[in-house]
Amino acid sequence: MTKFSKMIAGSLLAVALAGCTVGGSSSASTGTASAASGTSTGSASTAVDPSKMMIGVVQLVQHPALDSATQGFVDELKAELNLTDANFDIQNASGDSATCTTIANAFVSEKADLILANATPALQAAKNATTTIPVLGTSVTEYGTALGIKDFSGTPGGNISGTSDLAPLDQQADMFTELLPNAKNIGILYCSGEPNSVYQVTKVTEYLKAKGLNVTAYPFTDTNDVAQVTQSAASGSDALYIPTDNTAASATETIYNVTSKTKTPIIAGEEGICSGCGIATLSIDYYELGKTTGAMAAKILKGESKVSEMPVEYYKNPKKEYNEKICQELGITVPSGYTAIAAK
Amino acid sequence: MIITNASAALDVGNLLGSLPGGVAQGLIWGIMALGVYITFRMLDIADLTVDGTFTTGGAVAAMLILNGMNPWLALVIAFIAGLAAGMTTGLLHTLLGIPAILAGILTQFALYSINLAIMGFASNKAIGVDTYALSISSRYIMLAIITGIALAVVLIGLLYWYFGTESGSAMRATGNNPEMSKAQGINISAMKVLGLALSNGVVAFAGGLMAQYQGFADINMGRGSIVIGLAAVIIGEVIGEAILGHHQNFAGRLSFVVVGGILYYLVVCVVLWLHLNSNMLKLFTAIIVAVFLAVPYLRSKQKSSFKRAGRNASKEVQ
Repeated sequence: MTKFSKMIAGSLLAVALAGCTVGGSSSASTGTASAASGTSTGSASTAVDPSKMMIGVVQLVQHPALDSATQGFVDELKAELNLTDANFDIQNASGDSATCTTIANAFVSEKADLILANATPALQAAKNATTTIPVLGTSVTEYGTALGIKDFSGTPGGNISGTSDLAPLDQQADMFTELLPNAKNIGILYCSGEPNSVYQVTKVTEYLKAKGLNVTAYPFTDTNDVAQVTQSAASGSDALYIPTDNTAASATETIYNVTSKTKTPIIAGEEGICSGCGIATLSIDYYELGKTTGAMAAKILKGESKVSEMPVEYYKNPKKEYNEKICQELGITVPSGYTAIAAK
Repeated sequence: MIITNASAALDVGNLLGSLPGGVAQGLIWGIMALGVYITFRMLDIADLTVDGTFTTGGAVAAMLILNGMNPWLALVIAFIAGLAAGMTTGLLHTLLGIPAILAGILTQFALYSINLAIMGFASNKAIGVDTYALSISSRYIMLAIITGIALAVVLIGLLYWYFGTESGSAMRATGNNPEMSKAQGINISAMKVLGLALSNGVVAFAGGLMAQYQGFADINMGRGSIVIGLAAVIIGEVIGEAILGHHQNFAGRLSFVVVGGILYYLVVCVVLWLHLNSNMLKLFTAIIVAVFLAVPYLRSKQKSSFKRAGRNASKEVQ
C-alpha cells in the first residue's frame, strides 16, 4: 500500500507550495527594490543604496566569542550606514563546515552586497563560493594558513580581507619580563591538533628566545592527556605560556589543579584561559573586533576602499589583565596598567 | 526568537537561486549515501565508521592535491584509504567478535587521530580552487552538478554490475539471511569485511569530493555523515516507492538513494531560506529523518494481515 508514502510526499509538496506563497507576496516589493538600486549604481562614489543592501553573515558555530564578533559587526554597520535588521541575513552553520558552504552559496545566489565570514571554515567556504562579492573574515587567527597563501604579505587580495583575533604575541612575551623577571625557563603548553596554536607557539618562541629565555614546547593531543603534560611542563619550567587554544580553554581546571600545587605561574593568550588558570593576559574583545570588521565593511560598501587593497586588521587596543586570585596565591605584585579580570 | 530569526524578506527568487548549490552538495552526499546503502540495506549493518571515513577521504584528497597530485587520482587514493578503514571495522567485527556497531564506533574514534596525522596534525587544510585544477568546486556550480551526476551514474552502474556478479549476490544473500548463506557455503565473514570496505571506500570518495567542492578539508567535516547518509537512503526509498511503486529494479533504487541525498539538502536550503533559526537546523533535520524512518514501519503496520482482516470483516458485517 503506497497510500501512506503518497501522503507524505503530498504533504512535503504542500509545505513547499506554502513556502512559495509566503515568499510570493514579498517578492514583488524586493523586485522593485532591485530596480531602484539599479538606477542608483550609475553614480560613481556610492555603490548601493544603503536601505536596499543585503549583508550575509555566515558563522561557523554558536560560541560566545563568535557571537560577540557578529554582534559588533552588525552594530557598527547599522550605525555607520543607517541599516536595520532587514539588511542582514545572519546564518549559523551549527558547527557543520559543509553547511557553511550551503549558506555561502545561498548568499552568492541572493547577490549579497557583502559577506561576513565568522571563523576559518566559514571564510574558506565563502572564498570558494565567490570571487566578486567582498568577503570579510573575523575570528580568524592567521589568514595565510586559512586561505592557503604561501607567502602571505598581510593583504589577502582579491575579494577577501578581514580581521584577525591574534593578540600581539610580542607584547605577550614582554609580560614575562615585566611580571616574572626571575623566570628563565619557559614552557609552552598547547594542543598539537590546532594549527592556530602551532603558529602562535612558533612566533612566541622567537620573541622569548630573543629575550634570552630558554623555551621548551609541551604539546598535548586532547583534553585527556592535559594533566600529565602539564605535570611535566610545570616541573621542567619556571613559568608557562598557553596560547589562544580551544582545547586548553576547555581544560583550564585540569591545568590549574596541577600548577596550583607546583606554584607555577602561567601567562595566557586570552582571557578565558587566564581567568581559569593564568596570572595575566592580553585580552581581545571580540565585540570590538567585530566593530573593526564592521568599519571595514562600511568603507567597502560606501565605495571608499577596495577590498583587494585592504590588509588584514588586528585588534588595536589589547587590554592587560590579571587574575587577582591566582596572583595573590603566588605572591605576584602586579604593576600599574593591569586591570583585574571581572568575576563571572 | 527561538524558531525564527527573521530579518530579510522571503524571496522565491533567492530560494530558486540557492537550489543549484543545494543540488550540487546533495549529489555529493547522495554519492556518500550509496556507500551507506551497501552496509545498511545489503548487509543490514548501521556502520558508524562513515563519520570518520568521510573526513579521511577529504584529508587524503586535500593533502595529495596540496602535494601536486592530480585531483582525480587523489579521489582514487581517497577511495583506497576508505577501503582500508572499512576493512578495519570489518576485521574488528568478524575476527575479534566485536559487535558491528561498536566496531564502527571504535574505528571512527581511531580515525580522528589518523585523520589529524594525515593532515600533518593540523585540523584544517585549505585547497584553493584558484591554485589547483579541482575536479569539482562550489565556484562553478553548474559544472559541479554535471560532474556530480556523471560520477553518480558511473558509480551506480558499477554497483549494479557488481551486485549482479557471484560475489555481489553472495553479499546480498549474507545480508538477507546469514544462516542460510553459511549453509550455502558462503564465507559470510569475508563478505561482511568486503561490504564494509566497499561501503567506506565510496564514503571516502565522497569525502574527497566534498573537500574539493568546499575548498578545504576539516577534521570535523564528517560529523553527522551517518545521519545524512541514512536520511538519504530512507528518503530515497520512500519517494521511490511513492513514484514508481514496486516496479523499480536495483539500479532504480540506487538512483533514488542519490535523489534522497539531493532532497535532503534541498530541505536544508528551504530551512535556511525560511530563516528558521539555523541554530535549530539539527533538530529540524532529525525530525524530518525520524518522520521518514517511521514511514516504512507505520506502513507495514497498516498492511498487517490481521488488521486488514479485521477491517474487511467489519465491512462485510455492514
